[in-house]
Amino acid sequence: MAYQGYADYFEAPVIISVAPTGGMHGKEANPNLPEQPEEIAEDVRNCEKAGASIVHVHARDEDGEPTKDPAKFQELRDIIEERCDDILVNFTTGGGNDREGRIRPVIETRPTPDLATVDLGPLNTRGDVVAMNTRVQNEEYVRRMNEHDVKPELEVFGPGHLTEVHHLADEGMLEEPFWTTLILGMQTGTIPRPRNLINLVDNLPEGAEWQCMAIGRHQLPLTTMAMTLGGHVRVGMEDNVYYRRGELVESNAQLVERAADIAERLERPIASTDETREILNL
Amino acid sequence: MTCPRLEYRAENDEHEFDHLRPYCTVTDEFVSPMKADICNDRFDFDHEDHCEVFQAAVEAAAADDD
Repeated sequence: MAYQGYADYFEAPVIISVAPTGGMHGKEANPNLPEQPEEIAEDVRNCEKAGASIVHVHARDEDGEPTKDPAKFQELRDIIEERCDDILVNFTTGGGNDREGRIRPVIETRPTPDLATVDLGPLNTRGDVVAMNTRVQNEEYVRRMNEHDVKPELEVFGPGHLTEVHHLADEGMLEEPFWTTLILGMQTGTIPRPRNLINLVDNLPEGAEWQCMAIGRHQLPLTTMAMTLGGHVRVGMEDNVYYRRGELVESNAQLVERAADIAERLERPIASTDETREILNL
Repeated sequence: MTCPRLEYRAENDEHEFDHLRPYCTVTDEFVSPMKADICNDRFDFDHEDHCEVFQAAVEAAAADDD
């Protein structure tokens, strides 16, 4: 749903997603960042208790490096389900240009994840290497997720990627609400300024529901701003390893607790998992 | 080809890990998983073209030879 002003601000529950691990940095950046299934599940359990209703999952191998091995994702799926009450599971499809390898965990694990990401467009990385994320790939991922009853989470790294949200919606490939992540501060994506978040929100299609994800020190102010705009938030060590300047995050639950505390101070209710299912039509 | 300056170690002066992790012997630091993709020439990366640390090390070695 497009921004409706203070009605959203006061009444709509805020969904808190947590991204505990990611694929970009690891224990070399913060030794508290969970990489292996056991420690991820323990942290996610505490995040759920603190108010998170979605966990965004990346898998690592024994060296702490990212892996797309479906067996590793299955292990994570199983242990999160075992340790947590009811948190919704969201798998990444991000990383590299192996189109088939990136989506295999989504369609091969059982049960399939509740949600999975679709990176909507190109991002420059190093030199002449680009994460492609073509329109054909986007359409294929969305189609295959739909076939497996997985809701696509549309990752808007830059303003131009909003065009792809409109395209997928116009083609009738998405069910409402179009669950969209507005990302600020990632590589060559949107520059993390408050005005840019407002601009992204203003350009969402009717029928979108959105969350804000911001990198590093931008996580706190921009996710707080998102709550005041009626949006939802994603926090976690995938995006930010510092609690404040010079102070490393102790756990992902610490970041979820802060987001929940801010929501409560703003008098926005925190979405339970059932409410998140209802909001996202899962 | 993997970067010749990449090693897998479990510890240095600052860190101690349960498992071997990617370690840059030029900077004497553990590297991030994202950087390790470059060290290992994964996903179309090539450490000779895309790693400024490796390039600087090669240039320094060449200067020493002059």
